[in-house]
Amino acid sequence: MDRSARATRRPKDDEMTNLVQSPKGATLRIVDIAGGEGVRRRLFALGFNVGDDIELQALGILRGPVLIRNLRTGVTAAVGRGIAQKIVVEAADERP
Amino acid sequence: MSAPEAPLLIFIGQPNCGKSTLFNAVAGYKAQTSNFPGTSVKHTHSLVNIDGRLLNVVDLPGTYSLHPADPAEKVALRHLFQEKPDVMVNVVDASILSRSLELTLELLEMERPMVVALNMTDLAEKKGITIDAGRLAELLGVPVIPTVAAHGRGVKELLEAAFRCLESPCRGPLPRWSAEVESVVDKLVASLPADFPCIANPRFTAIQMIESGHLFCSEFLEEIDPGLKATLDGIRDELALRRGMPAYEAVAAERHHLSLKLSEQASLVRGRTRRSWGERLDDVLMHPIWGYPVLIAVLLGFFFAIFKIGGPVESALLKPFAGLKAWLAAEFGSGLVFHVADGLASGIGGGVAIVLPYFIPLLFLMALFDDVGYLARAGFLLDAFMHRIGLHGKSVSPFILGFGCNVPAIAATRILESRRDRILTSLLIPFIPCSARTTIILALVAFFLGPWWALGFYAANIALVAVLGRILSLFLKEASPGLILEIPTLKMPSLKSIGLKIWFQLKSFALFAWPLLIGGSILLGLVQALHGDAVINAALSPLVSGVLGLPRELGVTLIFGFLRKELSLLMMLQALGVGYQQLMTVVTANQIVVFTVFVSLFIPCLSTFAVLWREVGKKIAFLSAALSVTVAIILSVAVRLLL
Repeated sequence: MDRSARATRRPKDDEMTNLVQSPKGATLRIVDIAGGEGVRRRLFALGFNVGDDIELQALGILRGPVLIRNLRTGVTAAVGRGIAQKIVVEAADERP
Repeated sequence: MSAPEAPLLIFIGQPNCGKSTLFNAVAGYKAQTSNFPGTSVKHTHSLVNIDGRLLNVVDLPGTYSLHPADPAEKVALRHLFQEKPDVMVNVVDASILSRSLELTLELLEMERPMVVALNMTDLAEKKGITIDAGRLAELLGVPVIPTVAAHGRGVKELLEAAFRCLESPCRGPLPRWSAEVESVVDKLVASLPADFPCIANPRFTAIQMIESGHLFCSEFLEEIDPGLKATLDGIRDELALRRGMPAYEAVAAERHHLSLKLSEQASLVRGRTRRSWGERLDDVLMHPIWGYPVLIAVLLGFFFAIFKIGGPVESALLKPFAGLKAWLAAEFGSGLVFHVADGLASGIGGGVAIVLPYFIPLLFLMALFDDVGYLARAGFLLDAFMHRIGLHGKSVSPFILGFGCNVPAIAATRILESRRDRILTSLLIPFIPCSARTTIILALVAFFLGPWWALGFYAANIALVAVLGRILSLFLKEASPGLILEIPTLKMPSLKSIGLKIWFQLKSFALFAWPLLIGGSILLGLVQALHGDAVINAALSPLVSGVLGLPRELGVTLIFGFLRKELSLLMMLQALGVGYQQLMTVVTANQIVVFTVFVSLFIPCLSTFAVLWREVGKKIAFLSAALSVTVAIILSVAVRLLL
């Protein structure tokens, strides 16, 4: 039913990467959440939507979770490594 | 119970918005509060009298949206939809206003009487955000009352606004979405048959249907109205095509952007010059490396604080009871009266002198952890380790709650999204030493053998949980969805809130656990007087003496441990016929350790068994009991042979 048109929306940008590969302290923009519907809905519910600017606050050791803060809403969340790998981000130009 | 004539007021809000604190301020300190997303997993009812007017107040578990992802959220929705509240109080966290408004927008669509409690305005001010409540009320079309629940500020005004809403409708127009989304919603509303079982109103129902997709009884709809199902699918596809994203995401994004817009219109954000103390502390608490020494130091501090406070208090309190026992023996000899009086004294004395000295400091520290918000941080730090036992960081909070009491800990597994995670966590929680077992460990192992022995006992116990988790996850292969956990802002602990929490727990101890301890002790006295203990002990002696190498008199105490774990400790003294201080004259250090291992592990207590049954089902409850007995016997024998 939900034939997602997500793939077509991704900009062809060399800067794109996922959360896990980004440096700590970076300001990033969420380009896509490539996870399943359950994970996507949960992230939306916590206020992390595509297009939001976030700050990568910490990366846990031993494949631990990442800590992200939504710069627009002020919400901080811990996201497991597996899910973080599916969050596609690009460098945001500046803080809003 | 609820009086039917009193209007029903419900508190609804996202996890950790201070909803339970506000409910407490209104309802006289009944709901438990905490600073971990989703700790109040059950709803709490309270009938309150406000200036002569009765109000039936209900506190619901926090929910991020009206599309439940875990059982705790489902509880909230069930009440919202079935109980049809007369007025809703939507509690929003002013410090993260736009995210909080996403739920508010969903609730507004229901078009029921509603008041918004703009909570934690003090925290928002500290973050440099000033919110114009009047402007927000205009934008939302419902009254908005600023509150600081922790200090009871704004509570009176909030209730007055709620009463005004009950008397006359207090709603303005709904905030509108973009024309694109409005048009598909209107289209579906127009297609709904007149007799369609709408929730709240056709518009709300239509939005829910578009957003839920397969969640909203899709198959059922196919059965009863294939035409409508086709229309719905068409509308969802149309929206997906227009927006380039699935329909549910289009609606979520719409709400997200509307919330951002509304919150920007209603707030004034000043640039902050420096970061708050909480943020700076978080740099250490959640540091990928330094976070761990801090976590270990916190846990060690936790343990030693309870022991250092509990030990001396216990010794001091026990003296008068030892004297009482000697006096009873001198006065009544060894007949029925002595045994019953001795049981009564043991039950009362045990509760006051042995249980409370450890229980109260434990409650205090647990409440402190919870209020400050450290549980979520521990969840972040331990996520990687939890993955090794087949779980993730969200299970850390139920586990830590388990050190207080296994019963609320198992209830707290409702915050986990997947049933597999709930089962695995619920099976492991009974192996976490709760306050009752902590009392036994501290009062026996630490008191007689030294605190390091007790600490070793704890470490071994945690290692056991890890090993069992690893083994059990081999049988529960389904992948865990992974961690998505909000980290709430660190909060200054409020002594009032901690005090209330301790009071609540102590009341429950005095009402339920203590009578059980006293009753159990008297029952043992009676059984002893009638020489029934000899029969039970003889029957159990192959296990107790043969396998475990303990005095056979302890057989009867193990049975009673099922009621409450502390009972085994109190009864141990009673059954052996010695005072606490003289215990080492009749048992060896080795026997103390074996006894503690066995009692700690051998079976979940009655209340834990009951909550397991309720939360994850009969099969899992019996599996848990069987697992405990097996593990207890294997480990007790191993300890006996090794020491």
